[in-house]
Amino acid sequence: MDISSGSQVRSHCVGTTAVVYASDYLNKLTGEKIERECRRQLDSGCRALVIDFADTQLVNSIGISILLGIIDIAERSQAQVVFADVNNQTVELFTMLGLTRHVSLAKDEQEALLTISGFDPTSIVH
Amino acid sequence: MGRVTRQEFVGRVAELERVVAQAGYQKNGRGLLLLLAPSAGVSELLRQAYDVLFQGRTEVVPIYFAFTRHETTAVSAAIEFLNSFLQQYIAYRRNEPALCHASLTLTDIVALAPSSDLQWIDQLVQLYSSIRFSNDNKELVRFCLSAPQRVPEHLGRCFVMLDGSELAEDLNGSVTLGPEVLRIFGRSGRAFVLAGLRRQILDAAHNAMSNFERLDLLRLEQLTSEQANLLIEHVAQRQQVPTSREARELLVQQFGGSPFFISNFLQAAREKSVALMTYLDCERLYAYEVLGGHLHHHFQSLLEEMAPQLETRLMLIRLLWEGVVNEETSASVEAWRKRLQLENVEFEYVLHKLHIHEFANWNGTSIDPTAGSQPWKDFLKVSYRLAVLNEPRALVVADAITDALKRAPHTIARHYKRLGQISLREVAVQFNCQRVPRILFDYESFAQKYKGEGENEIAAGLDTDIELMKLPQIVHVASSLAFNSDLRQICDEQKCVVAHGFEDGVYSDAQEVVWLIARVDSKLEVEADLAELWFDRFDSLARVHGFRRYQVWLISNEGFTGEASKLLATRNAFCSSDHQLELLIDQIGVMPVRQTAAVEAPDEFVMVLPMGEDNELLAASTVEHIARRLSFQPAAINQIKTAIVEACINAVEHSFSPDRKIYQRFRVENDKLVVIISSRGIVPTNLVSGNASTSNTESDDAAEERRGWGLKLIRTLMDEVEFERVDEGTSLRMTKYLRNGVLSGANN
Repeated sequence: MDISSGSQVRSHCVGTTAVVYASDYLNKLTGEKIERECRRQLDSGCRALVIDFADTQLVNSIGISILLGIIDIAERSQAQVVFADVNNQTVELFTMLGLTRHVSLAKDEQEALLTISGFDPTSIVH
Repeated sequence: MGRVTRQEFVGRVAELERVVAQAGYQKNGRGLLLLLAPSAGVSELLRQAYDVLFQGRTEVVPIYFAFTRHETTAVSAAIEFLNSFLQQYIAYRRNEPALCHASLTLTDIVALAPSSDLQWIDQLVQLYSSIRFSNDNKELVRFCLSAPQRVPEHLGRCFVMLDGSELAEDLNGSVTLGPEVLRIFGRSGRAFVLAGLRRQILDAAHNAMSNFERLDLLRLEQLTSEQANLLIEHVAQRQQVPTSREARELLVQQFGGSPFFISNFLQAAREKSVALMTYLDCERLYAYEVLGGHLHHHFQSLLEEMAPQLETRLMLIRLLWEGVVNEETSASVEAWRKRLQLENVEFEYVLHKLHIHEFANWNGTSIDPTAGSQPWKDFLKVSYRLAVLNEPRALVVADAITDALKRAPHTIARHYKRLGQISLREVAVQFNCQRVPRILFDYESFAQKYKGEGENEIAAGLDTDIELMKLPQIVHVASSLAFNSDLRQICDEQKCVVAHGFEDGVYSDAQEVVWLIARVDSKLEVEADLAELWFDRFDSLARVHGFRRYQVWLISNEGFTGEASKLLATRNAFCSSDHQLELLIDQIGVMPVRQTAAVEAPDEFVMVLPMGEDNELLAASTVEHIARRLSFQPAAINQIKTAIVEACINAVEHSFSPDRKIYQRFRVENDKLVVIISSRGIVPTNLVSGNASTSNTESDDAAEERRGWGLKLIRTLMDEVEFERVDEGTSLRMTKYLRNGVLSGANN
C-alpha cells in the first residue's frame, strides 16, 4: 500500500463540469483540499462536479463529512455532484453513512460525465 | 543535615543554588527572605544548602535552625538557637558532621572546641550564664540570637538559615521573637536566610522596620507537575511504596504539587504498607489521611493553634465549610465576629492565622474562605460532618472515598486539557505592539483564502500580507473567572481570560483597551447562536466592570461558520481557529509549553504511534499485514483498516492525551483478530456509554452526529467493540472474526 496525502488536488474542466481527483487517502486535509477546489470551480462558473475516486484506497469519517459539506455547497449552487470510480469498500461506507442518498455514483469518469450530460445535455463540449 | 542525598533532592535545584549563593554575599550582609506558598516545603532545601556549604569547607560556617512548635517561649527558642549554633559551629570547625545531632551540653561544647576557638566560646558561655539568670528576657534573647556575630572574623563567617519564622510569632513571653529575629540579623552585617509563609514574613519584615534595600526575596511556589512527579518517584522508591504512573499523575494534581502533602502521603502509604497503583488505592488512603492521618494532624494542629477552645473551633469549622460550600467569596467579618463570639484581639488572631496559612483571604472587612487547597477543604468537610453534624464515622469515611474517586477523573481531565491546549494567558501576555496579519483574527477570510492550502503556502501568504494590525501591549492578564465566578459553570479557568492593555503602548485613557478572550469548545465550526452567546457574556462582563473599550476575541478548534463570523464581525469581535492561533504564536514568537510524559516499555507486543501526521495509516498498514496472515478477505481487511483509522482519530479527538501517543495492541487468535487501541487522557462519558455523539453539548445536533460517525463505523465494521475505561484514559477493543473464510461484519 502506498498512500500519501499528496500536496495539490488535480482537476480539469469539461465544459461547465469540473472533474476533481481525490487522492489515495481521504481525510481532513485532503478533504479540505477537495472542498477548496470544488468551491473554486463553482465560483468560476462550473455547474456540475465529478469527484473521481479512482486513486482512493482509504477514507475516514472526517473526509466523508467534508464530502457531505461539498454536496451541501453544490446544492446551494444548484450544481449536480457525481462520485466516480468509487471502490466497493468505500461505497459501503458511503452507503452506511447515507451519502449515496444525496449523490449519484458512476462507474468511471466517462460515465459520470454522461450522467451529467443527461442532466444538462449542453454542458459537454466535444 | 539533609534527610535525603543530594541526588534524591529534586525539584528545587535552582532555589538551592540561590540559597547557597547568598552565602557569598557575606561582605554585603544581605538577607534573603524565602517566601513560601503554604505547604510548599522549605526545610529540606535549607538542609541541603547547609550540607553543600558544610562540604564546601570555606570560611563560611553554615548554621541551620528551625523554630518548632515544641518551644513555647521566646526565651526557650533563643536558648535552643544558641545551643544549635554552638554545636553546629563546633561540628564544622572539627569537620565532624555527626556532632550536629549529638546531645551536648554547653560544658561538652567548650570541651570540644578547637584551641583557636576556646577563648571566645568560653567567654560566650560565661556571659550567657550571667545573663541567663538576670531576669532580663529581652537581653537574653538578643544575646542568644546575636551569638554568631561573636565569632572572630579570622575564624569564619556564620551564615544563618532560619526556618519556620511564622512559628516565632506565636511564642509567649515579653519578647516578640519574629521582629526581633529580623532586627538582629538585619543589622548584623552578615548574610542570612529567613524562611516563612509568604503572607507572614513580609508583614514581619515591615513590623521590624527592616531595610528592604538590604533584603533579597525568593518566592517558593508549589512544584511543577514534572518536578512533583519526579519527587513522588524518588520518595516512593525511598519509602518502598509501589506506585503506577496513573497514581503518580493523580497525586501530583490532587496535592497541587505540594512537597509537604506528597511526602506525608507517601509516608502514610509506607506506614500502612499500601501500594499506590490505582485511583482507588490513592483515594482510600487519602480519605483515611484526611480523617485521621498526617494530613489530618497537620490541619488539626493549625486549627487548635488558631482556636484553642473547642466551641470556637467547631464554630470556625462550621463557618469555613459553609463558606466553601456556598462559594461565599466575600463573607462579612462582622457576621463571623458575632458567630465566633471572640474578643477583638482573639478574633483578629484567628483571621490573621487563616490568612497567613491561606485557608482564607482576609482584607479587613470581608473574608473569602474558598481560597484553601483541596486537602484543606476535604479536611473541613469531614470535620464538619463528624464534629458539627455528628454523622456516623463510617458514612463520612465512605463518602470521603467515593467523593474523592468521583473527583479524580475530573482532576486529571482538567490537567490534561491544560496540557493539550495553548494557554491563552501565555499568548496574551506576549502581546507587545507587534504587527501581525489581520487575517489571523478573521476566520471567514482566512478560511476563504487558506483552507486546504499547505503550510508553506499559508506561511508565504502571511509573509506577503500587507493588511496588518498592531497588537496592544498587554500589561495584565487574569482568568475571566476572577471577574465573574459564574463563568466557572461554563468554562475552565484557562479558557477564558481578561487582558488589560494599551494600544501603541501609550498609557492613556484613550488608548486603554481590554481584550476578552475565550476558547469556545466545539468540534465543528462554531454556529452563530453559540458565538452570540459568548459575545453577550463578554459584553455583559465588560459593562459590569466598566471596561470602556474592549475587544472580544473568540477562538475555536475548527473556526466559525460563515454566519457566526459575520455576526461577530458586525460587533467588531475577532474570531480565529486554533490553526490561526498557532500561526499567530509563530508570528509573535511565543513558545507554547506542551509537556510530554515518558512512555513505559510494555511487556506486550505494542505499537506506539505519535498522534498526527496521518500516522493512523501506519496502524492500518500494520493490521493489513497481520490480517493477511489470518487469511482475511481483502474486503474484510479494508473494514478492519477503516475501523482502526477511526479508532485512532477518536483517540486523537477525545483524549486530551498528555503524551500524544496512541498505543496499539494486536492479538492474533485462532479465528479472530483482536485490536486494542488505547490512549492516555480522558474520554467523554457519553462515548464510553456507547452514545456515538461527541462531548460538546453546545454544538448543533446534526453536525455533532456527523462527527460521531467514527464510532458508528467502527461498530458496523467490526464484530465486537468494547470500551474499557481505565484510570487515566480509555481502551477500545475491537474484534473481527474469521468464519471459515466467510467475511464477518454487518454487511456480510
